[in-house]
Amino acid sequence: MTGDDSWYEAAFVVGITNALNVVADGLGGGVMPPVDPDTAPADVATVFAEIRSFYGSATPGARLGGGQVPKPFGIIAHDAAYLADVWAAVKRAFTDRRLTRRHKTALAFAVSLTTRSVFGTAFHLAELRRLGVGEGGVMEIIGVTQTFSSYTKIADTLQLSSDMADIAPVDTSGVPDASA
Amino acid sequence: MPTVRLRDASEYPEPARRLFELSRQWFAYEFKEPPAMSRVMAWDPHFGGPHGRAMKRAMAPGEFSRAEKEMVAAAVSGANACTY
Repeated sequence: MTGDDSWYEAAFVVGITNALNVVADGLGGGVMPPVDPDTAPADVATVFAEIRSFYGSATPGARLGGGQVPKPFGIIAHDAAYLADVWAAVKRAFTDRRLTRRHKTALAFAVSLTTRSVFGTAFHLAELRRLGVGEGGVMEIIGVTQTFSSYTKIADTLQLSSDMADIAPVDTSGVPDASA
Repeated sequence: MPTVRLRDASEYPEPARRLFELSRQWFAYEFKEPPAMSRVMAWDPHFGGPHGRAMKRAMAPGEFSRAEKEMVAAAVSGANACTY
């Protein structure tokens, strides 16, 4: 994992995960009701169908979303064009590329747990299990999340400067062709 | 600027210095001095020892590889807004 493209992929997963969690945790729970899939306009229904396909329509993760569409997508579906763009970004971020979807979901779970996102933690935990990660694997990610949540606070309390940031080799390759 | 004076490895007692060798093996990198966090954790081996073992157990290859977990650790550090 020395190439920068892996880190760009990871950063996009972390960012879009936080974006989904902000909406789900902040606006869920009745603050802003999601669009009802049964009465959604055609353009929204089309995106909802893609989302159901991506996450599986009868999984614990899908149910956590308040039906067959995970909560944050239902909430932002009040603007169909916005939903379509956000969904395209989410799908791109989580699709297998340099990093596997399984690994990306582990990243999303760890970040959701770290940021205390009730929605994201439960959703990505369910996704991890749906993707075949066992309890041992889940515990591995919890362990990494917990121990590094300790290291980071120790480092911040003592205001340590990074002395490991430059030990990785620099990726001198150019910008990849995103259409490839 | 750290809130404490980070001691050089040579200032630590011998049992603590053994932790630095474990640290060197873990990172597989020749640091001029052990990483700051290693020196912090060696301040109290009764804390740093079990903490480090818990971390190594979590980071060991299992269902996820060590590399995958290093990236998870980096993401967690980022979410905690920690630059270290």
